[in-house]
Amino acid sequence: MRSPLAALAIVFVPLSLMSFGGSNAVVADIEHQTVAVHQWMSGREFADFFALSRAAPGPGSMLTAVIGWKVAGLPGALVATLGLYVPAAVLVYLSARLWDRWRGSAWHAAIERGLAPVAAGLLLSGGIAVLRSSPGGLGIWLAAGAATAVLWRWPRLPPLAVIAGGGALFGMVGALAP
Amino acid sequence: MSHGEPAPRQRPGLAKIFLAFLRIGSTGFGGSSVGWLYRGIVVRRRWIDDATFLSILAVGQALPGANGLKASVQIGRHLHGPLGATAALLGLLSGPFVIILVVAGFYRRLGDYRIVHAVLDGMAAGAIGLTFDTGLKSAVQGAPGPAALAIVAATVLAVGVLRWPMLPVLLVLAPLGVALALVQRRH
Repeated sequence: MRSPLAALAIVFVPLSLMSFGGSNAVVADIEHQTVAVHQWMSGREFADFFALSRAAPGPGSMLTAVIGWKVAGLPGALVATLGLYVPAAVLVYLSARLWDRWRGSAWHAAIERGLAPVAAGLLLSGGIAVLRSSPGGLGIWLAAGAATAVLWRWPRLPPLAVIAGGGALFGMVGALAP
Repeated sequence: MSHGEPAPRQRPGLAKIFLAFLRIGSTGFGGSSVGWLYRGIVVRRRWIDDATFLSILAVGQALPGANGLKASVQIGRHLHGPLGATAALLGLLSGPFVIILVVAGFYRRLGDYRIVHAVLDGMAAGAIGLTFDTGLKSAVQGAPGPAALAIVAATVLAVGVLRWPMLPVLLVLAPLGVALALVQRRH
């Protein structure tokens, strides 16, 4: 039986190096590993923590800290967070030193352009993964679609307002429902 | 800082770097931390200029990791070498790390109330909307053309719908995307 800290590192370190477009790009895989493979939490908890982590400040999602904390307390939170962020940080540090040699090369432009559609697809997949994991039913799918349309139509709207608005709306409906 | 005259560009110490990124990391809501970095480091503190900031953003484009994280590491490196990069990274992550654990602690106490789950479902819907919106906009802007959109669709189908493991999917689609970009460049 592997120690929980090692299991967290084995999940999050490779994801760090796959997180093209930010840590939200690997939400689909985090969900799969956390709920289905390791059964660290239920789909209900995962959806709740996803919501909390997106409403909180940060460079991406601190979802990883909550998962680590759930598995192995504070050491787990540290291992999961550093596991998801440090490898990508080291990679960008090393790459910055090579940048001057690469500047303006056809390869650099091609990699930048070529990864863009994959990154976009991963982002969309992350949203779908959380929806599938959530027990919220048809309502949350419809509300997510509506939130997408609102943000698309009014790009200057603060995202936090849409998240808070969704929470307020569902809270009111939940309070009125029998 | 006194008003009226432009502050001289100075090399901040490690503690100053850590505190600056701690503040930016703790206030950068909504996933737009690059915007907060620009305001905090370039406009307010004037530690680096616009051109340096833009070239820093460009380096990170082709690499994995959140944009704010990649920019922070490079700004820290620019200001104070490897220790500066470490200070910036730890500063950026510390605030959100503590905040989310406090919030999760509250959740554990309140998680039995049905209304809490209803509110969180609504918040999740908003957050997923934000994810979809970002994905759709970057697909339209960053991957124009039918071939690139086909790669977007293939990624969504493989990872989002069929739930195939991400690594093999990336190993196939990423080189395909780069090859496509090279071919398009030639024409």
